[in-house]
Amino acid sequence: MRLKQVSVAFAVLFLLCMALLLYFLVRSEERNRIKEVEDRGTYLVSLVSLYSIDDFKADNRHFLLKSIAEYTANTGLIYLYVHDSGGKQIMSLDSTNISESIPPEIQTRSLASQGFVRQSFRPGGSGETAHEFAKPVLEKGSRTGTVRIGLRPLPVQLFSLERVSFLSMIAFFIFAALVLFYYGVIAALKPLKDVHSSLKNAVESGAFPADAPKGGQFLPVVEELKKSLTQVKSKLGSIGEENISLASRLGVIQFEKKLQSKILDAIGQGIIVTDLQGHIHLINDSMLKLLGRKSEEVLDSPVEKVLDRDDIRPLFTEDSGRVRDSIEVTFPDASPGEVFQASSSDLLDGDRTVIARLFMIKNITSRKKSEEVQHDFIAHVAHELRTPLTNIKSYGEMLMIGEITDEEMRKEFYNTINEETNRLTGMIQNILNISKIEMGSLTPNKGLVHTDWFVDGCLTSIDAAARDKQIAIERKLPDVFPSLIADKELLKAAIINILGNAIKYTPEKGRITFSIGEVNGYVNFEVTDTGHGISPEDLPHIFEKFYRSGQNSIKEQVGSGLGLAITSEIVRLHGGEIEVHSEPGAGSQFIIRIPKEDYFIARS
Amino acid sequence: MPDPRKVLVIDDEVHIRRVIEVILKKRGYEVITAKNGEEGLEAIRSLQPDAVISDIRMPKLDGEALCKMVNPLKEFRSFLTVIMTARISPDEQKWIDGMKDTIFMEKPFSPLRLADCIDRYFEDKLMNT
Repeated sequence: MRLKQVSVAFAVLFLLCMALLLYFLVRSEERNRIKEVEDRGTYLVSLVSLYSIDDFKADNRHFLLKSIAEYTANTGLIYLYVHDSGGKQIMSLDSTNISESIPPEIQTRSLASQGFVRQSFRPGGSGETAHEFAKPVLEKGSRTGTVRIGLRPLPVQLFSLERVSFLSMIAFFIFAALVLFYYGVIAALKPLKDVHSSLKNAVESGAFPADAPKGGQFLPVVEELKKSLTQVKSKLGSIGEENISLASRLGVIQFEKKLQSKILDAIGQGIIVTDLQGHIHLINDSMLKLLGRKSEEVLDSPVEKVLDRDDIRPLFTEDSGRVRDSIEVTFPDASPGEVFQASSSDLLDGDRTVIARLFMIKNITSRKKSEEVQHDFIAHVAHELRTPLTNIKSYGEMLMIGEITDEEMRKEFYNTINEETNRLTGMIQNILNISKIEMGSLTPNKGLVHTDWFVDGCLTSIDAAARDKQIAIERKLPDVFPSLIADKELLKAAIINILGNAIKYTPEKGRITFSIGEVNGYVNFEVTDTGHGISPEDLPHIFEKFYRSGQNSIKEQVGSGLGLAITSEIVRLHGGEIEVHSEPGAGSQFIIRIPKEDYFIARS
Repeated sequence: MPDPRKVLVIDDEVHIRRVIEVILKKRGYEVITAKNGEEGLEAIRSLQPDAVISDIRMPKLDGEALCKMVNPLKEFRSFLTVIMTARISPDEQKWIDGMKDTIFMEKPFSPLRLADCIDRYFEDKLMNT
């Protein structure tokens, strides 16, 4: 329907254009004719005025008229008048007898003019325009007459042969252009049609009516395109929503990835994950630090180039094996003495196919150290325990086989067995205490402690060792012994540890002073020796577990590095404190202060 | 009656020195004691004992160093060394095997066996000469 209207409108428009074109063509032709008339008039008047006036006289003019007739054929000549110098008409060529309709002022002006003159007029009020060209005839410098020529433009034929053929040519071109345009549009729409059909397939919703509306081929295409565009629009909307959800999922994934890499960085171990070709896919901060490299330098490069070391290479060159042997290695960039354990394993997928390889480097320095410390501790404890055991066994055997016959000596042997049993008990107590301290479960079992018996017990346990080294033990004891609330066994262990150290680190024939006193609600136990003393470097560390001085005079003595740690813990559990004064080479003084605490409450 | 054989006991533990001293004296030996490796070395050089009983873990100079220092002396004058210690590792067994006239006895030890061991050494020596 619409196409019909469009075609009609188009046809009207086409005709209008053609008419307009025709009009302009005619106008242009007319203008050309006028121009032509002007040119010809000027030429003719000039030509005719060249003749002598005598030639126009009646007897001579047959030759002249002949040539004029040749010149003026088909030129639209209306009239030719020749006037003599007096203004009298001496010749007239006027086929249509037009002289009556020429306005008189035209003639007057032409005769009066001294040179060429051109005038236009409408003869007898008709629609046509006539043009008069006038020029004087000059002979020997004087005017002998005037030539007047009247010309009319040749009428323009509306449908001349050329014009019709020109117009039909234009019409043909327009028609051809239209046809070309139509097929051009069809060709241009072809991909759109294809797009539409593929869109239709893609969208898969709302199939088009198979019978597209008739009346042209554009409309169904446009309709379908419109439909498709609507579908595309709705699809775009849903894609936009999907995009948003994808973007948020991507954000979550990126966050997870960042989190994972941060977790990997937070792990104290160096980690490298490689693909199956051995190219580094992932590397954490610890590993980069260990290698002294930057992430961008090593990512995607082969792991054997990054870790180019003969000792580590077997870990990633071996093909099979899920968990490979670990290797102990050191790194030049690490602090001296640091030991690392390098290991590699395959990362498996759910179906147990290898998807990547994991390579780890773990700092095992502290583990090694603690293993060493533990080993030393056990060796030391075993040795310490064996000493009293050896004594008890050998002394017992001597008594058993009846080797000892002397009564005094037998007493001495029994006494030694007793002392050594006490020593063994004390050692076992110390070991138990250490284990309780380690577990954080050492709790004092407090009761009233009378310090007189207590001090005796402490000093007796070191008597033998002191006698052996000829160390004098000076006791500075008060007349009235203070009492306090404490765990007797723990406190005794603490004080024996201090006394034992004093014996151990005091050279032979030295002196140890032990005193006890009550000051400001505290019971003070003081042990002063004339030993090697403690160096200022060691002093801040002496209560640390397993700390052993680097000094030779201390190192040559066997020890676990636990005695003072136990002592300080016991003192702490009693709410007390330990004060240490020491002068290297002169001796040390340890003061243990234990609060009397709720002694009075306990007694009441 | 010849001069009694001299036995040197080196141990930082007083009770061990005492028990060995008692049993060896009963067997008729002259017993000298030393508290550490340094004292022991001095006694070996000056008193020329016929047998040395030594601990390993001792202050100042340990048993291993002491043995290695006195081993060359045995080229000129042989004497028995009994190493007594609470622990022994393969490494320790190795160096003990490298010493002349040296035997190892683990602690806790039997004083009786130690004394028998020393008796036998001197008996063998007497028979060989």
